[in-house]
Amino acid sequence: MQADRPRHVGARVQRVEDTRLLSGTARYIDDIRLPNMLHLSFVRAQYAHAKILEIDTDGLADLAYPTIVFTGKDTAGIAVTAHQDFPEMQFSEQPVLAEDKVRFVGEPVAAVLADDPYDAEDAAELVFIDYDPLTVVGTMAQARDPEMPAIFDNWKGNIFIERQMKGGDLDAAKAEAAHVIRRTFYNQRQTGVPMECRGVVAEYDQASRVLTVWTSTQIPHLVRTYICEELGLPESRVRVVAPDVGGGFGVKGQVFVEEVLVPWLAMKTGRPVKWIEDRREHMMASIHARDHEHTLEAYVSAEGRLLGLKADISVDVGAYSTYPFTAAGDPGMAAKVMPGPYDFQAYEATFRALATNKCPLGTYRGVARPSAVFSLERLMDEIAAELGMDPFEIRLKNVIRDFPYKNVLGFTYDPGSYAESLEKARDLLAADIAEAARSKASSDTRIGVGCALFIEQGAHGTPDFTRRRVPIETGYIAARVEMEPDGEVIVDVGLQNHGQGHETVMAQVAADVLGVDPSNVYVRQGDTLTTPYSVGTWGSRGGPLGGGAVHEASKILAEKLRAIAGHLLQTDKEKIVLYGGKAQVDGAEDRFIEIRKLCRIALRNVDQLPEGMIPGLEAAYSLDGSADGTYANALHAAVVEIDIKTGKMKLRRFLAVEDCGTILNPLIVDGQVRGGIVQGIGSAMLEHFIYDEECQPLSTSFADYLMPLATEIPNIEVHHIETPTPRTPLGAKGLGEGGAIGPAAAIANAVADALGISVLKTPLNGNEIWRLATAIREGE
Amino acid sequence: MRPTPFEYHRAESLDHALALLAEFGEEGRPLGGGQSLVPMMNLRLARPAHLVDINGLPLDFIEVEGDVLRVGALVRHERYLKEKVIGERFAAFHDAVQWIGHPTIRSRGTIGGSIAHADPSAELPAVAMLYGATIIARSANGERRIAADDFFLGAYMTALEAGEMVVAVEFPLPPAHSAGAFMEISERRSDFATVSVGAQITFSGGSITGARIVATGVELQPIRAIPAEEALSGKPLSACEARAAGRAFAEGIDPISDNVASSEYRRSLAAELTSRAVEKACQRALEAGQE
Amino acid sequence: MQEIELEVNGVRRRLSVEPRRLLADVLRQEFGLSGVHIGCAQGACGCCTVHIEGVPRLSCLTFAVQCDGASIRTVESIGGVRAEHLLQEAFRSEHGLQCGYCTPGYIMTLVPFVSRMVEEARMPEDEEIREAMSGNICRCTGYHGIVAAVRKAIGDQMAASGGANHAG
Repeated sequence: MQADRPRHVGARVQRVEDTRLLSGTARYIDDIRLPNMLHLSFVRAQYAHAKILEIDTDGLADLAYPTIVFTGKDTAGIAVTAHQDFPEMQFSEQPVLAEDKVRFVGEPVAAVLADDPYDAEDAAELVFIDYDPLTVVGTMAQARDPEMPAIFDNWKGNIFIERQMKGGDLDAAKAEAAHVIRRTFYNQRQTGVPMECRGVVAEYDQASRVLTVWTSTQIPHLVRTYICEELGLPESRVRVVAPDVGGGFGVKGQVFVEEVLVPWLAMKTGRPVKWIEDRREHMMASIHARDHEHTLEAYVSAEGRLLGLKADISVDVGAYSTYPFTAAGDPGMAAKVMPGPYDFQAYEATFRALATNKCPLGTYRGVARPSAVFSLERLMDEIAAELGMDPFEIRLKNVIRDFPYKNVLGFTYDPGSYAESLEKARDLLAADIAEAARSKASSDTRIGVGCALFIEQGAHGTPDFTRRRVPIETGYIAARVEMEPDGEVIVDVGLQNHGQGHETVMAQVAADVLGVDPSNVYVRQGDTLTTPYSVGTWGSRGGPLGGGAVHEASKILAEKLRAIAGHLLQTDKEKIVLYGGKAQVDGAEDRFIEIRKLCRIALRNVDQLPEGMIPGLEAAYSLDGSADGTYANALHAAVVEIDIKTGKMKLRRFLAVEDCGTILNPLIVDGQVRGGIVQGIGSAMLEHFIYDEECQPLSTSFADYLMPLATEIPNIEVHHIETPTPRTPLGAKGLGEGGAIGPAAAIANAVADALGISVLKTPLNGNEIWRLATAIREGE
Repeated sequence: MRPTPFEYHRAESLDHALALLAEFGEEGRPLGGGQSLVPMMNLRLARPAHLVDINGLPLDFIEVEGDVLRVGALVRHERYLKEKVIGERFAAFHDAVQWIGHPTIRSRGTIGGSIAHADPSAELPAVAMLYGATIIARSANGERRIAADDFFLGAYMTALEAGEMVVAVEFPLPPAHSAGAFMEISERRSDFATVSVGAQITFSGGSITGARIVATGVELQPIRAIPAEEALSGKPLSACEARAAGRAFAEGIDPISDNVASSEYRRSLAAELTSRAVEKACQRALEAGQE
Repeated sequence: MQEIELEVNGVRRRLSVEPRRLLADVLRQEFGLSGVHIGCAQGACGCCTVHIEGVPRLSCLTFAVQCDGASIRTVESIGGVRAEHLLQEAFRSEHGLQCGYCTPGYIMTLVPFVSRMVEEARMPEDEEIREAMSGNICRCTGYHGIVAAVRKAIGDQMAASGGANHAG
């Protein structure tokens, strides 16, 4: 009925949040200032694994200003725990302040409070801790070594959990195979690095017994529930607010010990308490990511058909299990998504989470998928090389073409454009492929083209969570839509923006349904006081589920508006169209009533409502994903130029052909894709969080942890194919993480192409490229 | 990540600055651009009790006096790109400046700061050694002239004594028949070098008469590539056997190894960049000859 | 404590500061300028860039006492609360920002660059634009939108100043 009218969804709408971000008037966590506030500075563990013998705080007494100090003795019993409910799981508990032992460098040991942050930092230096160093478990091999001492007292070995996933008949696949190709792949430890560090401010109001916690988080409701459970507070009297969040990328998608401790300190001291993380703390003690080792064994027919796949997956998850996705999150995800976009029906994965004395592993854009895709897509190129096939040819031979497709683990994929994206990319890259081939004659400069085809499961529904048996049982997003007497719309949605532009997109969605302009829609998020309970923003669900929930709630309101309009215009409500601020009779544009007038009637002049209609304009909807979620797909391709003599690699071209279903706002979709890709390029070439043998962190500053700068990056080409999914109200699939998933694989494949060798690990920095080019260099 | 307390003193004159530095000894540090010192202070790796701000002093001169280019300690990096004499006479210097940090750092960082900080992979210490520059250090006790070759003692270690500060760097003007080039490999363009090599040659009648080659990233301070320098002597510009010179240098070194680069990689880069810098210098020499 | 006078966004004020206070902290705490962001406190990310005497400088590597008598500008003074500077408008239309945390630093770094290009009446290559912003880290946008915004701002500003001669 409204199909022929221009809509806001799908348009390149400029973001409404930009003005405050550009003008400096946005409000981030460090901008929260309260009267009489105490500033918190941590004393953090200097050893990776040590017994705490004594904590000496006497030095604080000599200071000219007052300080307050707390240690693990004061906070005993308060911890972050995140268990996976399987009998194989060994449990870890991270105390908010270390009690008897420290288990990674950077773990909080003492909390020092002062009126001024500089003073608090000075004071924290005066706390002396006497440690008895213990044997450090520093590598995956050490973690698997039964001779090594366990990091936790009641543990056997240092494996959090090891499990299996399987489907189909792998023995049969192996028996049928003409080729067995086995490789071990490794992705280095890295971290998400939002430009804004973490921070928490808490204030307890004795009069109302309300605790307010501001925290730079992606998951305000989950933080609230955790605080309440751990501190024994009613959820009705705890308000968690995420202000403007300066990047998250999954890093801010866990509940951290600091988020539990700071509220406790505010209640204990009776004063507001503020903690702003510094960059050094952030690098060594927020969360890390990747650090995956995968051994894959492919069973392939003589013609290049993938018959079966065996995977052995190890992840170094650090010292503690993180909330809510747990230590099992990354290995489990890698095992689950490994089958990817290819049609085969025999698979077996063994996957384990290994405990070491390193910063805990948590979620970072892509969560295990970048590593799984790296391994699988590298393997596809290895298979192609072994069989003498072209990388596009091997993929086109194996790619899934008929949808819906039930994969080897029982997940059913919604329609996608896997083969089309391969064909499109091959056309776009024709000149580069030819140039790369010509460069093979050179021992000075080589060009390589590599691609990575992948799918990104997003917007998954409750069953996908419950089967994991971790403290995140569901992933629905709730929205509440209200209209005011003047016709303005308030959308409260259980998301938390950290760059995605929710305020704009949610307004576009509501405006289309309600027939108003997006500028009349005020979107609120990130505050548990105003927004309905939801899991927050992660897992590529903001667009499909958040947008979907807003859409469905708006539809309920629209229905009511139409009923009122139909009554007033004396026509069937089905004939009423909401558009341009008017409720009009379809086909008779002069018969209309302004929507704001309908609002006034629904809320004030209720005597004009149809008989029996309840006053008010408020609707809520909680949208769960479909059981298997949505499967966005993308093809990433990289063209690299390698200086054989120096190992210097230049990224000449990077392109993406992506399909996220219905595009809600192309401006934002392209931004998400490009931003993710550049993070993925960092993963592929630069970013490496290094520990020494004693697990001392060596990458704690931006001089040591190298992220892509503008000078390292080409313009990123983004091409779209739109295959709407039937599984979400708007046809949108999850998209936010996809950009970060493909680059490591695409770039590694390009390097392998350029140098004609196997590439098995990242980062592909200067030294590594130089090493890989040795044969060519020395063959001259 | 905030500094420990210190007292701040704004130097009114060079003598005032030197008197303050003499008074504070090891506890005092001159503050110029602050692009190296302040990060160290924020990380609390440097904890000076006194900072003597020298930014107001008239040390931002670049002047040619006879055969010497004198560069005041407060000259900011971005200025070299605009100085005619550097573009025309100091090509390797000009090349090197483009590898220093990023624009905001280049607009603030100073030569005095870079030389005194002595980061093992910074460009300007290498440039000073390449041209056989003299570091002019002053203290309340007077002036010391220290050859760049003797100035850099290790990572962040120099011949400067407590109470002493760099006031200028003197670069001898290269002779008429000379040419140079500077090459660098770093992970990202604005990073400190993994390895960098500067080469400066003099020539006569189409042959190399002398060469000076300096590399960073091999040891914890810039080093001269003496075997390469010797190998080039007498070679024709058009066939200078740069590759052999690079190899001669690389064979005699045992480079450091760290998280950025292995010893083997550094050795290979030292050879390759020496070869490229020499080739570029020779090419520039030949081009100059054609004019 | 040391007595200093700063002119911040056109307003002169005397204040007493501890010498070790970073300019970034003083602008945030004493002047309430929340657009000054600290990303790394070691000069590697550009988030804290402000103008001192018209030149982009890192306020995390500058002590407030050093700025006695100086004129300082922060992002708040560039295009007002509506962010109406042509570069800010271009950031909006080209999607040059996402989470916004690094954005004020980019604006302060790039406003003088844009002005210089307009004065020189030339449209720089992408490489030159990328080099101009190589001291700033953006973790969200992949830089693409920022480069596009700079190009657009230069073009728009040249058009606005009547110089239709897009050289280069």
